[in-house]
Amino acid sequence: MKIKNLTKDPNWIQRVEALGYGYHTDNNNPYWIDHYYFSINNQLADKIYDATAELWQMCLTAVEYVIENKKYDLFHIPKYIQHHIEKNWENDAPSIYGRFDFAYDKETDQLKMLEFNADTPTSLFECGAVQWFWKEHFFGANKDQFNSVHEQLITTWADIKPHLKSDILYFCCVKESLEDLTTIEYLRDTAIQAGIQTKLIYIDDLGWNGRCFVDTEDLEITSIFKLYPWEWMVNEEFGINIINDINESQWIEPSWKMILSNKAILPILWKLYPNHPLLLESHFYSPNGMTNYVKKPLLSREGANISLIANSNEIYSTDGDYGQEGFIYQKLAHLHKEETGFSIIGSWIIGQEPCGITFRESDYPITTDKSRFIPHIIE
Amino acid sequence: MIKSSKTVQLVLITSLLASCNKPKTEQETNNQKVYMRADSTAQYTDVSNQYKQQNSHGGGMGNALLWYMAFSHLGRGMGYASPGLHPNSVSGTNAAKAKAYESTKRGGFGNSAKTKESTAAS
Repeated sequence: MKIKNLTKDPNWIQRVEALGYGYHTDNNNPYWIDHYYFSINNQLADKIYDATAELWQMCLTAVEYVIENKKYDLFHIPKYIQHHIEKNWENDAPSIYGRFDFAYDKETDQLKMLEFNADTPTSLFECGAVQWFWKEHFFGANKDQFNSVHEQLITTWADIKPHLKSDILYFCCVKESLEDLTTIEYLRDTAIQAGIQTKLIYIDDLGWNGRCFVDTEDLEITSIFKLYPWEWMVNEEFGINIINDINESQWIEPSWKMILSNKAILPILWKLYPNHPLLLESHFYSPNGMTNYVKKPLLSREGANISLIANSNEIYSTDGDYGQEGFIYQKLAHLHKEETGFSIIGSWIIGQEPCGITFRESDYPITTDKSRFIPHIIE
Repeated sequence: MIKSSKTVQLVLITSLLASCNKPKTEQETNNQKVYMRADSTAQYTDVSNQYKQQNSHGGGMGNALLWYMAFSHLGRGMGYASPGLHPNSVSGTNAAKAKAYESTKRGGFGNSAKTKESTAAS
């Protein structure tokens, strides 16, 4: 795993914008990196595949454990939605995707799971489409990439189609984020290619008619994909309507993903699989004797409110709006470092299948919304 | 074993989305007055401030195209509505439209996104 440079393409912006990729740059800071990439070998790609498949099974076991033992309070999940979670889980409510974040230590050749973005993972379009077209532009069919995200999305939607409760699957996201709009339109694009009828609605425009959720034309909604976190939904005005809905709408991702997208799953996994090589030691309430660790809010997003502690001293921290719900303490991981920055590996699981990776690079050892997306090649 | 998609075809995403992130001209970002209404019988709402705030977002949407997209179609020949406008600018003297717009409650989801700095995706 190492950085390799390319001759800069002076037309790269036009090239990626022609794909519909508009958030490649953030206030003059690059988000998409076009002129260098991570070169990895097949062994590392296979290692990431195997780790992702194994962790996915471990995560499903952990969800079962949380539900069976009603550990919801550790996750700060409101009481009123707990039965909905249990019903969703028992009924195998369909799930599309998730992204594990890994630290990779080149010296020991060891991957460690940092967290699992199970509910609203970002960088899907960059991975599945932009990265693939980048490979075609620079390498053609001569090189490989661990990236069948696009095909796997279409396959997964096709698998789910017979289980949808209605002929129309709604897709919703917030109004004022181009990144979220692009992601939801990409997901809708792949659903259309799988033969599903779709409609886009902004989550702010979702209506409640006293009996069920409706679209802007007052048509009833029964199946809906939302790019909006469960932990936000259940604490908003319409949250209670999820359980009052006479249609028992099918929400994708399902409500049981609230368990996996919460950092409380990390100490649960450590309890269920102590000293597992893919896990980092993690605890509730205190560092439990660790002197090198990361303090993470249960519900933080994009690296907000994280503190890095080395030799019991805080060496780095990020600001944000999270932490009221409590923290977990996770052993400090060794992050891959190049001259260009610190990197982590995001590994996609779509419809139970590990199918692609993304590299995110940061100037500091915490991945945030400012972290750069680095494409990769297997060679 | 090849690990990459054999082909990637996009049927929906277009350069239209990419164009949303274009830098705004000085005329667009300064002193521009923007008024909107969602019915020809309605009075206009001055949305200049909201428009400027939207435009200041680095990766946000706030250009004219996506403001338009924020208007939703009410169906049954009643035209469009937008929660960004004062209700008087949505229905005007059109009573049927006002009833259709007001009988269903909206805006019960989405508020957390407005109070957090990060986007919904993680």
